[in-house]
Amino acid sequence: MSDKPEITDSSGNNYKYGFVTQIEADTAPKGLNEDIIRFISAKKGEPDWLLDWRLKAYRHWLTMSEPHWAKLVYDAIDYQNLSYYAAPVQKAKPKSLDEVDKTLLDTYNRLGIPLKEQEVLSGVAVDAVFDSVSVATTYRAKLAEKGVIFCSISEAVKQHPALVRKYLGSVVPYTDNFFACLNSAVFTDGSFVFIPKGVTCPMELSTYFRINAKNTGQFERTLIIAEDDSYVSYLEGCTAPQRDEYQLHAAIVEIVVLNRAEVKYSTVQNWYPGDKDGRGGVYNFVTKRAACRGCNAKISWTQVETGSAVTWKYPSCILEGDNSCGEFYSVAITNNRQQADTGTKMIHLGKNTTSKIISKGISAGHSNQTYRGLVKVASQADNARNYSQCDSLLIGSTCGSHTVPYIENRNKSATLEHEATTSKISEEQLFYCLQRGISEEEAIGLIVNGFCKDVMQHLPMEFAIEAAKLINISLEGGVG
Amino acid sequence: MDLLQQNVNLWGDDIPWLAGLREKGRLAFQKTGWPTAKTESWKYSFFKQSELEDFVIRTEPCHNECHGECSCHLSHNLPFEVIEIPFCGGQPDTDHVGLPEGLTVKPLVEAVYDKEAQKYLNKSYDAENFPFAALNTAYLEQGLFIIVERNTRVTKPLLLSYHTHNAQNNWMNIHNIIVLESGAQLTLLEDFQGKDCHYFNNIVNEIFIGGSARLNHYKRVAEAQTAFHIALNSVIVRQKGCYNAFCAQSECRLARNESLILLQQEEASANLNGAYRLYKDGHSDITANIRHLAEKTLSDQFVKGVLDGRSKGVFQGQIHIAPQAQKTEGYQLHRALLLSDDAEVDCKPELEIFADDVKCSHGAASGDLDKEQLFYMQTRGISRDDAKQILIEAYLNESLITVCDEQIRQWLAQVL
Repeated sequence: MSDKPEITDSSGNNYKYGFVTQIEADTAPKGLNEDIIRFISAKKGEPDWLLDWRLKAYRHWLTMSEPHWAKLVYDAIDYQNLSYYAAPVQKAKPKSLDEVDKTLLDTYNRLGIPLKEQEVLSGVAVDAVFDSVSVATTYRAKLAEKGVIFCSISEAVKQHPALVRKYLGSVVPYTDNFFACLNSAVFTDGSFVFIPKGVTCPMELSTYFRINAKNTGQFERTLIIAEDDSYVSYLEGCTAPQRDEYQLHAAIVEIVVLNRAEVKYSTVQNWYPGDKDGRGGVYNFVTKRAACRGCNAKISWTQVETGSAVTWKYPSCILEGDNSCGEFYSVAITNNRQQADTGTKMIHLGKNTTSKIISKGISAGHSNQTYRGLVKVASQADNARNYSQCDSLLIGSTCGSHTVPYIENRNKSATLEHEATTSKISEEQLFYCLQRGISEEEAIGLIVNGFCKDVMQHLPMEFAIEAAKLINISLEGGVG
Repeated sequence: MDLLQQNVNLWGDDIPWLAGLREKGRLAFQKTGWPTAKTESWKYSFFKQSELEDFVIRTEPCHNECHGECSCHLSHNLPFEVIEIPFCGGQPDTDHVGLPEGLTVKPLVEAVYDKEAQKYLNKSYDAENFPFAALNTAYLEQGLFIIVERNTRVTKPLLLSYHTHNAQNNWMNIHNIIVLESGAQLTLLEDFQGKDCHYFNNIVNEIFIGGSARLNHYKRVAEAQTAFHIALNSVIVRQKGCYNAFCAQSECRLARNESLILLQQEEASANLNGAYRLYKDGHSDITANIRHLAEKTLSDQFVKGVLDGRSKGVFQGQIHIAPQAQKTEGYQLHRALLLSDDAEVDCKPELEIFADDVKCSHGAASGDLDKEQLFYMQTRGISRDDAKQILIEAYLNESLITVCDEQIRQWLAQVL
């Protein structure tokens, strides 16, 4: 560690989160084996049941092979060449923000999440995860008054072990898929949210993820439990420094929604996408799933995906409870050499369940993008209803846009509709803008923002503004 | 007995290029193996390998000297004139037909020995992507070689009737080559019928459509209840050529009509429409892969299905647009009506687009009959069952209407 902590700005282009923070990190040796898992578990002072669970997951992982069915081409990932734990060194657990390492706070300020300021002004409670460890959770006192638990998952393991044990892995079991299994074995931190019965969370909860250390994978795990009649809106943002090597990110989000509860989960994913020739960037393999266990439960996923070199992500809804409802709103933008294979799964199991999918994909440069979605209606899901709409916009003739929906219906009273269109930016619209003195790049930004409007209006306000800007930045250089 | 372990006598061992093709087919099949639930293009239509154990690959040609009088001939009952080639027990009978000028139809065996077939055989698809087509080549038995000469318009439809009766556990590999030289026009009817027997029809049609030529390909499948029908139509369409197809399928163990369409040159077009109606426990699969490889190409697909009992309907459609295929249009629509709680419909309309100046869309919908429509008809004194029947007919008619010739439309509707 240098004597004087400093923040190096290595960003030569428009990825404004591409800086690296020089901060001492406590890192596990490279490689993955049972000792590493024991090391992680010990570092975090975990109970035995969790270590056992991790080891079971690891042993199962060894029997699995990496899936390659997605339309993604990337260099093979060397799982032994990664470090599975990196934590900023702190002397003791901070009791308030004043005790958090100043360099870290500076980093977050540069990211646009001034925790301190937010605590005072905006009323958004933030949990920030730096590399693998949750650094600070703001606004805890106020949430505690209502009985809401919002803390890092490692803390939850210690303080609310019964809850964690009951729900961890109940929506995404460790056997689910290759990346989820890896995550279950090595997850380092993440957020834990518990909303008790009848409570409407008084503010929006927000997490910021950042990968900082070199050659580390980030494996966070988020668990959200919304008890009967509760409501929470949860925001997630991600950034990473600019590096020439690839960084692996394999996260899990599990959400349990009980009777009449509602969870709104919004993501703005802006991991480093790699440079214009496709060097570097984050490999983003994420398993997100919500189970509507109770009747009249509702889950809404909203995502704006602009970052990552490779995205593999299918936020899903399991609609078990009668009358439950799942929604998925997505904007995915790929430019340069980015690749995204993303979509959703709507599994209708309960009666009168409804789901809605609105997906907008924009491809530019040499990027490739795939919408991959599954709508499945089980035979007992009477009167299930689904509407899916997937629109794609192509900018330039070197990119690709693909749509792969799977629709499986086993109930005659179910009504399923799917529509998809692909087109380029209308020349008439563009001409209209140019005629009024708007530059081509600005005009495309305007048209694209209009194209995404159906999704953007579902984002919470603070995010919507950021996301609109992000869309314009992401498309820079992709035009012409 | 395992089909692949069977000792089969094959013809044409004296022809090196054919032996080479057969070997290639065998290797391709070894690579792919039988499709399973994990084979992406078969994930909704896989079956147990044990179901195939009884089949025996039949190689000896059946010398059925029926002289155009046996029940293989269907044209006696048709209200319109056709040129009919019956496949008596799997063997085409070309001896008793009068052909108009410009149309050549001969058994594939002859065309292979005459070296005419070499240019076309196995040239339109890659066997490694089609396990059954690979088997078809490996055990190639019979089929037809059809050529329509330049600018010839064949006015009467050419009917290939495949009538299977008395077959027990027969596995038949039929391979037809259909060539339309530029400016040629042909209407091809295929009629598959079978009753009270157990067999496997493995059919490959390789179709080459020249510049400005047009093929209308209408197919109806009414195989025996326990029969398998797996067909691959591999079509290459050249400049301004048009492939216009309709497939009507009814109940059998598995009927799969797969089309691979290569729109190779500018302004080539393809219409792939279809309808299926299942009552009991049949399985109907309509799969299409349309590859737009040149500018201004056009494709349109419209498939409708009605499912009852414990039946299963599958629609998989892929539209692929290559980077150079600008100004292309591709449309795809599948609709299914589920009449029973045990019926199932699986649908995968897929777009794969690498060019920006294109118009593509796909749609899929499934559901029950509209209760309001039923009610409306009942208020007019039509019984519920009749009303249901009328609505189902009207539902299927929406896709049938794409067949211009009314008599052919009725001929297709007979199996629905």
